[in-house]
Amino acid sequence: MAIGAVALGSAVATAMLGAMLDVGDRVNRELRSMGANLIVTPKSASLPVDIGGIRYQPAAKDEFIPIASVPKVKSIFWSLNITALAPALKAQTPVNGLDVPVEGVWFGRDLRAPDGTNTQTGLRTLNSTWKVQGRWIDDRTPDDRSGECMLGAALARRLGLQAGSSLTLFGETFNVTGILSTGSEQEDRAFVRLEVLERLTGRAGQVDAIEVGALTKPEDAFARKDPAKMKPAEYERWYCTPYISSIALQIEQVLPMAVARPIRRVADNEGQVLNKVRGLMLLIALAALATAALTVWSVMATTVLERRYEIAIMAATGAGRAMIAALLGAEVAIQGALGGIIGALVGAQLSGAVSQSVFGGHGEAPALLVPVVVIVATAVALAGAAQPLRNALMLAPAVILREGI
Amino acid sequence: MFWRFVLSAVKFRRRRLLLAFSGLAVAATLATTLLSVYSDIDRKMRHEFRGYGANLIIAHGPHSQTVPLTAVDEAERLGAVAAPFLYVVGRVGEERVVVAGVDFRRAAPLTSYWHVDGARVAGRGECLAGSALATHFRVSIGQRVPLESGPCLVRGIVSTGGPEDNRLMVPFERAAAAGFQNAASMVEVRADGPGKTTGQSRVEEVRAALALAVPGADVRVLYAVAETEANVVLKLKSAVFFLALIIFSITTLCVTGNFSALVIERSKEIGLLKAIGAAESKIASLFLSESLVLALASTLTGYVLGLAIAYGIGRKIFSEAAVGVDFGVFMPVMAVTLLVAVIATLLAASRIWRIEPAMILRGE
Repeated sequence: MAIGAVALGSAVATAMLGAMLDVGDRVNRELRSMGANLIVTPKSASLPVDIGGIRYQPAAKDEFIPIASVPKVKSIFWSLNITALAPALKAQTPVNGLDVPVEGVWFGRDLRAPDGTNTQTGLRTLNSTWKVQGRWIDDRTPDDRSGECMLGAALARRLGLQAGSSLTLFGETFNVTGILSTGSEQEDRAFVRLEVLERLTGRAGQVDAIEVGALTKPEDAFARKDPAKMKPAEYERWYCTPYISSIALQIEQVLPMAVARPIRRVADNEGQVLNKVRGLMLLIALAALATAALTVWSVMATTVLERRYEIAIMAATGAGRAMIAALLGAEVAIQGALGGIIGALVGAQLSGAVSQSVFGGHGEAPALLVPVVVIVATAVALAGAAQPLRNALMLAPAVILREGI
Repeated sequence: MFWRFVLSAVKFRRRRLLLAFSGLAVAATLATTLLSVYSDIDRKMRHEFRGYGANLIIAHGPHSQTVPLTAVDEAERLGAVAAPFLYVVGRVGEERVVVAGVDFRRAAPLTSYWHVDGARVAGRGECLAGSALATHFRVSIGQRVPLESGPCLVRGIVSTGGPEDNRLMVPFERAAAAGFQNAASMVEVRADGPGKTTGQSRVEEVRAALALAVPGADVRVLYAVAETEANVVLKLKSAVFFLALIIFSITTLCVTGNFSALVIERSKEIGLLKAIGAAESKIASLFLSESLVLALASTLTGYVLGLAIAYGIGRKIFSEAAVGVDFGVFMPVMAVTLLVAVIATLLAASRIWRIEPAMILRGE
């Protein structure tokens, strides 16, 4: 009975703590489907004059990010937090007498980072909410002669094209493999492979922007301080925290020719939503933890209360108080530990099951949680037993034994 | 006689009953808190997503370069927030810049993510400068930008990470004076809340209605915002649901244990009652009424405590407008608490039939 109660309590505690730690992380990944939260553009002496992807003033020839530098973004301190990046080369060409913005991009490319890890990245990974009619271009192997393109839905409607039609861009014929619905201004653009647009525009090895999706820690008051005014210790802490601003700075350090700016609309709100989710989970977990502790406490108190006769008999037959306390204490501790272990293991499974059924994929409670819960469960069990045990030891055995008749 | 028995049981075994009571009260408190949070989590989370701004865009259709301004009125008539934007190319000295006409009053709820130094609104003869533009032309708040169509006083510096950084934001009418009659480059719309017909989101409904009302235009859902929002809210909701289920089933188990102990402890009394001729069903109903009294008291306590906690959660975490509790959870909480108490007692009460008075009284 006692072991069972401790096990139940620990199971709730583990499941809640596991879920609490996991949900924040999962929601963070979920929010990443919002698209890029950082944009990297070349340092520029002139001001870009563009509306909806159409440039009204040509960009300076020497302002670009070399494509060879793109993988460096995955070599920063927080490279593991960079979930996706998509370089883009921008151009425009007249179709039916109207200028159409064309972007050369990676759709889904295996990127080999300088540290040797491989990640799938590109437009498709970055924007998982985009809907496609037809199919995505498969550009895992570069091919600068490919005649495939994808069109934004608004552009396709305007030109009266569907997946499977063909159109002429830069004097070459392209097959439309898919129509992209995004809702944003990307719907007015045409997308081709990066290497194809490089060839067509004669800008080999150049990109105009890199969109980056990064998992970040929500900005707090500390994150908004000016890094230039921080003390060395503060700066180190700021640098080693995945704030959007510190990731932006780290990208600028590996790409000296570029500026990295947080896209506020995505980055700020992400942090805000995430804070709320974490707070909510924390409070629910606290409520559950309090209940679990209360349950273990009360059951342990009852168990000792029920054994007052035994205690009295032991005392009457000459056992010292320290002896009895040690005996019962050891028993309670064993019950607490055993219950804690069973409960923690079951709870870890439960929290894994919850996060798996809610968010899909493999969910797992952190391994450290189990020993912590076992220790806490034992401590709570001992604390619950302490008071009634002390009471029983304080009373004369005769008083307790007479009570029972 | 019956109720005297029940009430004295409560009176004489206060400590033991207090334990059972507190167990059940904790269960009721958790049920109230979780149900209240759960029933309202939609509204609370959606409120947080407002910061993302528009979830619908009205862009120009194939046969025109602009959107008629009536689209704004149509959207507002549908209960959505809407603001027109107008983009023209202007000149500052020798250089060209993009000038954005913004209806600052209407746009305020949609541009809460703009980081602005200084004022968020510009009046006649005033403007807001994008951060890149301000650096490029070396202007700061209080200085004038020598725009070709007449200089404007910079009231604020805007930084968004988006195209706004390179633009000059002026009042809508000023940009429209460049030759636009009741037209905008695009209209941003935010539609909130659940759909009127089931199975469809409000965003989709407003999109369909606007597409009908503004025939020449292209009305699109911003999938990134609309879908991520729906996904996160749904998943969070089911996470809270599952966790509530786990917590609840485990507290139920504990309460059941508590109530069984109540019956087991009184085996001697039950034996005595049976020995002097009480029917088993009579004894069982005695215990059941005792549990029901307990359950009612715990429901009331738990309801009050739970609502207080739910309110605390709302206050502590969510923004001002989304605070609030769901008083309607009383009935479900009471139903659940009573059910748990009844099941726990009945499970324990099955022993009553098996008790042999002589055996129990002898102490076996």
